[in-house]
Amino acid sequence: MTKQLDPSVCNVNVAPGATVCLEGDFVGEITIGARTVVHPKARIIAEAGPIIIGDGNLIEEQAQIINRRPAGSEDSRQHTLIIGHSNVFEVDCLVEADSVGDNNVFEAKCRVGRGVAVGRGCVVGSLCSVTCPQELADNSVVYGSDHLRRQQQERPPAQALQLEFLNKVLPNYHYIVKPKKKGSPAAEIITS
Amino acid sequence: MEVQDMLYPKSQYIETATGNRVSRASVLCGSQHIVLSGKVIVLSSVIIRGDLANVRIGRHCFIATKAVIRPPFKKFSKGVAFFPLHIGDHVYIGEGSVVNAAVIGSYVHIGKNCVIGRRCVLKDCCRIADNTVLPPETVVPPFAVMAGSPACHVDDLPEATPDLMTDYTRSLYHHFIMVKEGQSDKPKRNDSTAKLLEI
Repeated sequence: MTKQLDPSVCNVNVAPGATVCLEGDFVGEITIGARTVVHPKARIIAEAGPIIIGDGNLIEEQAQIINRRPAGSEDSRQHTLIIGHSNVFEVDCLVEADSVGDNNVFEAKCRVGRGVAVGRGCVVGSLCSVTCPQELADNSVVYGSDHLRRQQQERPPAQALQLEFLNKVLPNYHYIVKPKKKGSPAAEIITS
Repeated sequence: MEVQDMLYPKSQYIETATGNRVSRASVLCGSQHIVLSGKVIVLSSVIIRGDLANVRIGRHCFIATKAVIRPPFKKFSKGVAFFPLHIGDHVYIGEGSVVNAAVIGSYVHIGKNCVIGRRCVLKDCCRIADNTVLPPETVVPPFAVMAGSPACHVDDLPEATPDLMTDYTRSLYHHFIMVKEGQSDKPKRNDSTAKLLEI
């Protein structure tokens, strides 16, 4: 008896080489690139359009990536949330941005609201909220309780080693979403 | 710190031989690597990542809802690994806190919504206030109170802290009372001296 995602709720396309734990909230149309690791209990909600996640991302537990339909707007407007490569979404972060570039780090418990376009190499510090519509320049850092900002000289280091380790270890402990083949029968997920 | 009674429905919690009470709604990954030493209360929606590395939690600990306990990541010369996480006895971890520390001593009180950075070391008898962010690799000395983001040493704890924390965690355990299914009817909810835990 294999558990798989419920196809009436979500459509998750997982590229080969990615490790996506089954025990998460997935809603809508989601594409996940190669070597990306999605820990259990992550939430990826594609309410107002598909979410396309690039390669080599690390999405930790309780992280929420939401493509939210703005309250009160027309349903037909679709907006694709494109997330680049090698980003890190730490525990309990909430990202509702318009777009996310490459090599960013969203630290634990940060909140990135709608209308924010995140560039490349940015770091949003722990417990920081970036909610007004704005564009985060490349290599900028938001940190501290006062939400100070500064520019970094270079982008945050990539987490390739950690991704490789997780890709080996996580399948031993969790059910993994199989890379999607067209026309495969899907059983309903059993919620515990 | 007078502790109120917390009632929990018997079916929602698992009680082990050593007196640990673990919510069924919590997520314990890799449970073979998680050691709960006894009389530990784990509320709902807690995530403990034993699949990454060993997690050892001491006696009489209390882990409030939505906390995340995950071992930190370390690059060794020969490669990478997740470092085992040791938590001492009589530790209180508040709601929603994210604990990435390497070692937490005994008698530690961690507030709500904190972020304990990677590979931090929290010595015995310290206290982390609510909403603090401890940057990675911070060492928190004994009897220190840390607050703010980034965290600063703002205050000191009294010498009696081990006794205070022992009392606090023991009474939390005592007041964590099991309610058998037949008795958990609506009138109890309006009882002002006890609150039914939301699961």
